[in-house]
Amino acid sequence: MTILQRRPQQQAVAEPHRRGVTRRQRPLWLLAPGGVLLVVVVAVPLGLAVWISLIDLDQYTLRRWVEAPFLGLGNYAESLDTALLHSIWVSVSFAVLATAITVPIGVAAALVTQNAYRGRAVVRAIFLIPYVLPSFVVATVWRTMLQPDGVVNAWLGGLGGLWLSGPRSYWALVLVEVWAAWPFIYLMALAALQSVESEVYEASAVDGATWWPKLTRVVLPYLRGPVLLACLLATLNHINNFTLPFVLFGAPAPEDVTVMPMLVYVTSFQSLRFGLSAAMAVVSMIIIAIPLFVYLRAVRLDVHEQEARR
Amino acid sequence: MKADVTRLLPRPLLVIVTVLLCALVLTPVLYIVLASLNSDVGVASGEFWPGTLTLDSYTRIWTTAELSTGIVNSLIVCGVTAMASALLGTSSAYVLVRFSFLGRVSILRGLVGLQSIPGTLMLLPVFVLFSSAGTYLGLTVIGTRWGLFLAYLTFALPFSTWVMVTYLRSLPRELEEAARTEGASTTVILWRIVIPLSLPAIVVAGIFAFLLGWNDVLFASVLTRPETRTAAVALQVFGTAQEGGALPVYSQMMAAALICAAPVVLLYLLFQRYLVGGLTAGGVK
Repeated sequence: MTILQRRPQQQAVAEPHRRGVTRRQRPLWLLAPGGVLLVVVVAVPLGLAVWISLIDLDQYTLRRWVEAPFLGLGNYAESLDTALLHSIWVSVSFAVLATAITVPIGVAAALVTQNAYRGRAVVRAIFLIPYVLPSFVVATVWRTMLQPDGVVNAWLGGLGGLWLSGPRSYWALVLVEVWAAWPFIYLMALAALQSVESEVYEASAVDGATWWPKLTRVVLPYLRGPVLLACLLATLNHINNFTLPFVLFGAPAPEDVTVMPMLVYVTSFQSLRFGLSAAMAVVSMIIIAIPLFVYLRAVRLDVHEQEARR
Repeated sequence: MKADVTRLLPRPLLVIVTVLLCALVLTPVLYIVLASLNSDVGVASGEFWPGTLTLDSYTRIWTTAELSTGIVNSLIVCGVTAMASALLGTSSAYVLVRFSFLGRVSILRGLVGLQSIPGTLMLLPVFVLFSSAGTYLGLTVIGTRWGLFLAYLTFALPFSTWVMVTYLRSLPRELEEAARTEGASTTVILWRIVIPLSLPAIVVAGIFAFLLGWNDVLFASVLTRPETRTAAVALQVFGTAQEGGALPVYSQMMAAALICAAPVVLLYLLFQRYLVGGLTAGGVK
């Protein structure tokens, strides 16, 4: 997606007469199959989620859910009493922390692979490995490594301990998420670096700048916009990540890593309190909506108007 | 010397950072490979370098875990999802890029926004809806591959469409306009011109849809029966089953994990150039 940086050379001259040519035969029916699917599997369930969050739905009323008793905001009141506030805190802090740790790693990785050298292709491929591996594979591997008798404790010796339960599980989750997610920042930073023209470097070299001022004053400012956007997306992905904690710790997870998706899952498919769980899911959606709206504003969708007519 | 001018970091720093990052990535990766070649006892006792090298885990895994059924199910569901979502995504994107109509920008914004809806929010209502299809319409959806396919297709579609939108924008429209003046219909234009010209992007859109299904655990864990389980769920169930047992078969688990990762790694190796472009274009996994 075209992100914050502008590309003036692409804002071609508008050709207003073009549009009229095809106006009469707009084949809007082509949107129908996708539209129907999105309505049936996304829009209807979204509405249904809100409805379920207002009724008392459990395993007894599930088969005839239309007749389940109406509760109003009862589920929301109950959800705020229970573990939800704790899991919001766990989710948000974990997501922000993971993003904060991945940014320097990802940017550093982009900087070391920007200049060509022999073997760079191999290094780039290696950097992509954590990103390429499916989450459930990554989680399975780390789960094995972090077992009480596992290899991590064997290395740590006296410093070892329980990683998959108790307070350290939180750090285990952060560690594994960081390991799996930093290449995303790397990719976005690399894409931004590659759009910086080489004249910029040459000009600063002529000025006699050494690498550190060149990096902090010339190169990094170019990365700020794209990396900020990547941070927003990465944080959203961390908050929504269900697979990693689910496979790493199993359900129900230890209290310290009961992130929002985990809580919603356990409440519906293990406690079978469907109404309550839907209320929690709606609350978590509202929390996610805040960064999401910031993101949607930042992305320039209107790029269509300029680029389509090049 | 142009290379020196554009060099970002001094050489020693570059080497140190590169080595550190590679070590960070490769240690766990090396661990999977070594552990899968180790004996179960060796892995359980925390060995990194195997005491005994053996391929036993790779032969035994097929009987201890339901891996083969899982892989077949995953291949079927994800393969069909990939093809369907690439085709639907292309036709939707074509309309979104080439024609102007009321609500187009809202749809574009929706395509980006939809990718961030948490799966856990959708899971329960989709489950209720699918089980209602059984209660009220007499259609069994839960536990079949169809239900899973429908869910994956829908969640893959916004991203596939978005990939195609970014690609079709850069495609010159002169060919289509020429065809249209010759009297070609939209269907013909799509089949004869747009699809052949945008094959690389279609492959990317399809692969991402495939990976979305392959990597999913959430929906597959609720919408499948043991016979229709995907590889991801088979591995997860296998992993959880190790906790209570007398001797956890960790080596076999690592072998199974490697086998589940293999198709994905293969796809990336084959299409690395296109996929990396698609990743940064879509901004999501």
